[in-house]
Amino acid sequence: MNYLYFLYMEFLAKHNIPQLFGDITFFCIPITIIFAALLVIVLALVLFERKLLGWFTQRKGPNRVGFWGVLQTLADAFKLLCKENITPSGANRFLFNLAPIMMFTPALVVLGIIPYSSEFTFISTETNLLLFVIFSALPVLSILIGGKSSDNKYALLGAVRNIAQILAYELPIAFSLMSIMVLASSMNLTGIMLAQSTKYGALGWFWIPCFIGFVVIFICTLAELNRCPFDLPEAESELICGYNTEYSGMRFALFYLGEYTLLLANALFISILFLGGYLSPFGKYISPILFSQNVGNIVLYFEQAFWLFLKAFFVIFIVIWIRATMPRMASFDLLKFSWCRLLPVSILNLFIVIIIKYFGGLYA
Amino acid sequence: MLKNILKLLISLLNVGKHLFKRPVTLEYPEKKNSKPENFRGVPVVNKCIKCGTCINVCPSGAIQIEENQFFINLKKCIFCGNCSYYCPVKAIKMSDKYETAVSDKNELILTYDIKVSEVKDV
Repeated sequence: MNYLYFLYMEFLAKHNIPQLFGDITFFCIPITIIFAALLVIVLALVLFERKLLGWFTQRKGPNRVGFWGVLQTLADAFKLLCKENITPSGANRFLFNLAPIMMFTPALVVLGIIPYSSEFTFISTETNLLLFVIFSALPVLSILIGGKSSDNKYALLGAVRNIAQILAYELPIAFSLMSIMVLASSMNLTGIMLAQSTKYGALGWFWIPCFIGFVVIFICTLAELNRCPFDLPEAESELICGYNTEYSGMRFALFYLGEYTLLLANALFISILFLGGYLSPFGKYISPILFSQNVGNIVLYFEQAFWLFLKAFFVIFIVIWIRATMPRMASFDLLKFSWCRLLPVSILNLFIVIIIKYFGGLYA
Repeated sequence: MLKNILKLLISLLNVGKHLFKRPVTLEYPEKKNSKPENFRGVPVVNKCIKCGTCINVCPSGAIQIEENQFFINLKKCIFCGNCSYYCPVKAIKMSDKYETAVSDKNELILTYDIKVSEVKDV
C-alpha cells in the first residue's frame, strides 16, 4: 500500500491540496476500486460459467446479447433491477430485507483481505487467515435468516440443510489451514505467500507438501459455496430454489452476486494458500526482464495481480468442470462424507505436514 | 474409495473432452440445419388438371378444389405426402418450407390459381 499512498500524495501535492484531505480520502479509494472491479469481475464470472457450461455440454452458451454474448449478464442484471420486489405476507419484513445485505457485506469484506500484489493489500493484519475464515462462513447466517423469515417450507428446509453442511465442512477446513500455518509459520496471507517463494517456482508452492490438504480444502470450499455436487441448500429439483425461493428482483440479485463474489474470493484464497498467490510459476518475474528499471517496477504489480487472477480462474474453471460432471449428493451422504472421510484425512494431513516441517528441507 | 476417485477422474475427463468438440446447436434463425432429400414441407401446386385424385386420397380432408382455385388447409394438413405421390401429372410437390407460423388463422388456408386453359382432356 505504501507505494500507492506515495503516488497519491504526490499527485495531491502537485495540485496544492492539503495532505489531511489525502489522508482521509485515501481509504475511500480502495473501497471504490474494490466495488468497481468486483462488479466487473463478477459479471464476467457469471458469463464465464455459463459459456463453459455450454461448451461442456456441446452447446454455444449465451450468444445473443452483444458480440459473443458479452453483455448477457448485464442484461440479466438490468432485468432483475426492473422487477418488482415481492415480500410474502407472512414474512418478517425486517429480517427478510436484512438477509441479502448480510450476504453481500461479508463477501465484500473478504475481498479486501486478499493481497492482490505486493503493494496492494487493503487490510493486512497478523491474523488475516482467521479473519478470512470467519467472514467467508458468515453468509450462512444470512441464509438462515432469509430461509426462516420468508415463511416458506422450502426456504426453511434449504437453510437448515445449509447449516448442517457448513457445520460439517468447517472442521476439515480448520485442520487443513492449521497445516498451512505450520508450514508457513504465519497467519498473515502475505506471510504465507512469501513462505512459498523458492527458486523452484511452481514446485516450491504448498500444494506439493500439503497435497491432501489442498484437495480437502477444495472439496470443503465447494460445500461452503453450495456448488455442485454439494448444492443441497438450493436443490432445484427438490426445493424449488432453496433459501431464496421467495426472493425476487434486486434482493435476489444481491444473493446471486454475493454467491459469485464468494466464489471469486475463495478461489483467490485457495490460490494464495496453495498455488503461490501472486508469485510467478517460473520462480522469477518476467516484467523486470522485459522492461527497463522504472517501468518494470510498475508493471511488476500488474504482473503479480495477473498471476493471482490466472490461478484463481484456473480454480474456478475446475469448480465449473466439476459442476458440469457430477450429480448432487444425497443429504445424509454429504454429512457422512465429511465426518467419516474428510475429517480423518485432514488430521492425517496435519501430521504429515508436521513431520515434513520437523525434518526441514525446503520448508524449514 | 480409490476406485470411486478413479471413476470420478474418468468422468471428469469424458466431460472435459466436449470442450474441444464443435457445438451441436445452431443459432437458429440465422443458421439452419440442412434438410433431407425427400423432406415433406408445405405442399405447392402448379399446373393442376383438376382430376380430384388428391381429394380422394387426402386422409385429413385438407384439399378442396373450386372452379379456378385450389385450396390446401394447413390447419388440417398432416404433411403425409399422399397427394403428391398419387397425382398423375405431379402437379403437387412437397416443398422444403417448414416455418408455417402466421399471425392470422385464415392465412393458413393456401390458395392456388388454376388456369382453365391448361386443363385439357380430363
